[in-house]
Amino acid sequence: MEKAIRKYWPIFVLPTLAAFCVGFIYPFVQGLYLSFCKFTTIKKATFNGLDNYVYALHDGEFWHSFWFTALFTVVSTVLINVIAFAIALALTNKIKGSNFFRTVFFMPNLIGGIVLGYIWQILLNCVLSLLEKPLLALNATYGFIGLTILMCWQQIGYMMIIYIAGLQSIPDDYIEAAKIDGATTGQILFRIKIPNVMPSITICTFLTITNGFKLFDQNLALTGGEPAHASEMLALNIYNTFYSRSGPQWKGYGQAKAVIFCIMVIIISMIQLKFTKSKEVQQ
Amino acid sequence: MKMKKVLALGLVAMMSAAAFAGCGSGSDGSTASEGGSNGTATADGSNGQVYYLNFKPEADEAWQEIAKQYTEETGVPVTVITAASGTYEETLSSEIIKDEAPTLFQVNGPVGLANWKDYCYDLKDTSLYNELTSDSYALYDGDAVAGIAYVIESYGLIVNTKLLEQAGYTVDDIASFDDLKKVAEDITARKDELGFAAFTSAGMDSSSDWRFKTHLANLPIYFEYQDKGIDSTDAIEGTYLDNYKAIWDLYINNATCAPADLAGKTGDDAENEFASGEAVFFQNGSWEYANLTDKGMTDDELAMIPIYIGAGDEAKQGLCTGTENYWCVNSEASEEDIQATIDFLTWMVTSEAGTNMLSEQIGVIPFKQAADTTNLFVLNDRAYTEAGKTPVSWNFTTMPSEEWKNGVGSALTAYAAGTGSWDDVVSAFVDGWATEYAAANN
Amino acid sequence: MKAKENIARIIVFIILCLLAIFWIYPVFMILINSLKGDTFISTSTVFQLPNAESFIGLENYTNALASKGFAAAFGYSLVITLSADVLILVCTSMCAWYITRVHGILSNVCYALFVFSMVVPFQMLMFTLSSTADRLDLDTPFNICIIYLGFGAGLAVFMFTGFMKSIPLEIEEAAMIDGCNPIQTFFQIVLPILKPTLISVAILETMWLWNDYLLPYLVLDRKKYMTIPILIQYFRGSYGHVEMGPMMACIMMTVLPIIILYICLQKYIIKGVIAGAVKG
Repeated sequence: MEKAIRKYWPIFVLPTLAAFCVGFIYPFVQGLYLSFCKFTTIKKATFNGLDNYVYALHDGEFWHSFWFTALFTVVSTVLINVIAFAIALALTNKIKGSNFFRTVFFMPNLIGGIVLGYIWQILLNCVLSLLEKPLLALNATYGFIGLTILMCWQQIGYMMIIYIAGLQSIPDDYIEAAKIDGATTGQILFRIKIPNVMPSITICTFLTITNGFKLFDQNLALTGGEPAHASEMLALNIYNTFYSRSGPQWKGYGQAKAVIFCIMVIIISMIQLKFTKSKEVQQ
Repeated sequence: MKMKKVLALGLVAMMSAAAFAGCGSGSDGSTASEGGSNGTATADGSNGQVYYLNFKPEADEAWQEIAKQYTEETGVPVTVITAASGTYEETLSSEIIKDEAPTLFQVNGPVGLANWKDYCYDLKDTSLYNELTSDSYALYDGDAVAGIAYVIESYGLIVNTKLLEQAGYTVDDIASFDDLKKVAEDITARKDELGFAAFTSAGMDSSSDWRFKTHLANLPIYFEYQDKGIDSTDAIEGTYLDNYKAIWDLYINNATCAPADLAGKTGDDAENEFASGEAVFFQNGSWEYANLTDKGMTDDELAMIPIYIGAGDEAKQGLCTGTENYWCVNSEASEEDIQATIDFLTWMVTSEAGTNMLSEQIGVIPFKQAADTTNLFVLNDRAYTEAGKTPVSWNFTTMPSEEWKNGVGSALTAYAAGTGSWDDVVSAFVDGWATEYAAANN
Repeated sequence: MKAKENIARIIVFIILCLLAIFWIYPVFMILINSLKGDTFISTSTVFQLPNAESFIGLENYTNALASKGFAAAFGYSLVITLSADVLILVCTSMCAWYITRVHGILSNVCYALFVFSMVVPFQMLMFTLSSTADRLDLDTPFNICIIYLGFGAGLAVFMFTGFMKSIPLEIEEAAMIDGCNPIQTFFQIVLPILKPTLISVAILETMWLWNDYLLPYLVLDRKKYMTIPILIQYFRGSYGHVEMGPMMACIMMTVLPIIILYICLQKYIIKGVIAGAVKG
């Protein structure tokens, strides 16, 4: 059978592969090359070695956005997972209207980042001005808090769904047996439930980490990086270096930053892969 | 087994083709793009088309109309796209790489030209260049004419003279910064009784912040240049920043709204406040005339006076007059498109419809067949010059980058809201200039 | 004991209710403000319900539909989402089947590359991808789906291969022996088995495609086409002012169909998310 299918590769593989070359491989390789160039358009690129990387690594704003992103990722990952897990616990505990709650909490996931950003910008600016505090665009701390609230609001539902699935897959016998043995609610939670949903926890943790790290739309719409790039995250910093600056040198810097960013994301994913693999061995 | 080898080879070839094209896409890239634009040109059954990336959001409607009119008259398609305020460079740099790139764009002067000179078609032998009234309105790149100024504008403080009279003053009472301060603070003191404020909101939204981070910032730069006898610099000293602070304080403390609310105020807010008589002074330019008259204001209640900041010889200070709008024709466009664009521009500056639109909507146009203007603010500027006052030149074309302007703008906003200090503004102004100048010229 | 548990339950229930209000309120706030006149939307009045003076009915909606290009943007978003969805589902499921059933360099290299592409952030490609798309004239809503197939293939192939490994070979072999060629086998045998995964992938891709901002913003021909996220972003800067009323109306018109669709297809969506997460 394998032989028979093999002959049909132009039909099965070629369309996807061709599109993949156009939509990924070619731009990727070209992007890699351009990170060593000074260019305004691809036609007019001159090779300049590692200059772009040297600049990118010495750019204070880039590092600021890196630390801002890192802090944001940590805070949002912890908050989202803890709250999502708590809600999932409550909803699997035969609470009235759990379907309704699940529906409501999941809803924001379907709304796009740009739209969400504006909804929350309007809301938070109004709250801040009622409290007579500076608006989002003036204070990076409020920008940070705003982004965190927005991300929690959007992502808790998604993670909650995954946790609910994890919790529901724990056989009832385990919990019944523990109850008969006189285990307290806390013991059941920490000894049985959490160890059994470890795979879900790993998945959710890495999903929130990558989502936080790559965040762009929400950042653009909610704060736009204001004030003076202070609430700019990595993806937006790269975008701004690339498009908001004029002059041939900036595109190269932006592309070099993008390569560095890409490497960071790959490293995170490799760590994730390792985690998932080692979990699979244990089970 | 054989199949497998062929496959592997094919894949390797594909990958290396991708890699190779990535390294040296020079030739095939340009042929592809020429093929593309030729294709569309012939598909439309004409010899070229115009795509104008417009810089002025306030003139968007007028451009759309005039483009339609031109297409009706000549059959040449003209597309006008307006970049959102503050995003012109961003839009241009992502549009210019496309097959159907803008055939017509603009730069703001020498600094802008430095970034885009590779794309500027030499306009020296064109009909458009011959229409210019003076060579000084052309932007040169060596001997080549890279850009052509299409409008000379003035800005200053627009005054609602009726309200000023109600407050007990006339335009002639204001001839220096001290006068302005006295009048403004007096109006603020009697705000409740009078029912209006001195200044419109100095909105720092991106639709309005250029009035302060660029136009107002021109004044301290102008006076510093005057003192030193230079016309550009790699490091600004900020000798007149105290005056900048004084005028900014005056704006924000005597406005229609609290300083902390300025961050979210838009250009429209200020315009509406002024048009509905909520404030006496409104810093803006001659391009605003059409908007104000559309909103029902008449010539006898409007006037434009210089922005006094308490520097230089105030008795001789005129309005700020100059240009930061140079048309450039994209040299990468196809021959037909370049010709079509030049024809369109020539029509704009020679035909009645074109010149009328330009002078009514924007201001004085430096072309031989220019229609005479009815724009009151332009007439104000002429009167000042005839009275022996010196116009303040536009030096913000020498500001090192957009980034510098944004830095000053953010610092001004933070200062107004009380979350930042004036030192931050000074640092964004002086240190920011040095770093940005170095970054732009390295 | 029982009473204590009941009290705990009630407390949890109340907390959940409060949270639910927090979840619904932002959308509700946009709804009430979209019914107000432009001048009545300001920081101090945004929390008030519309009253006789500020209520302008559906004017913002008609305004947004008539003059702000919302209808066109909605149409383009719909075209892009549907075409890209269909293309991705058909092409990547075929590709994934080949990869799982045929072992060799092509399969291995493709699979490795697809998985790698899932990780790469869009910023890495944004410039080169948009110029490539432009050069190949893939810059209209009607053929941008090819770009999406290329850029979005990774996740889809990954999910399909994950599922296909668990389909027993015997059924397909039987079909082939009965004289089906691979194409018939795939469409008549494999695809029906694949249905749950198809739905999962479709849902994940739809959530991405419908809301995607940067890719269409950079790739689409800006002179002619806007999708909904681009339109909403456009409201902020262009023309020198922000028209809050029509903007809120646009947001509502974007959000409402999604919410309705979600309520109808809830079961599938949640299943899709779970499947995607377990595989991803």
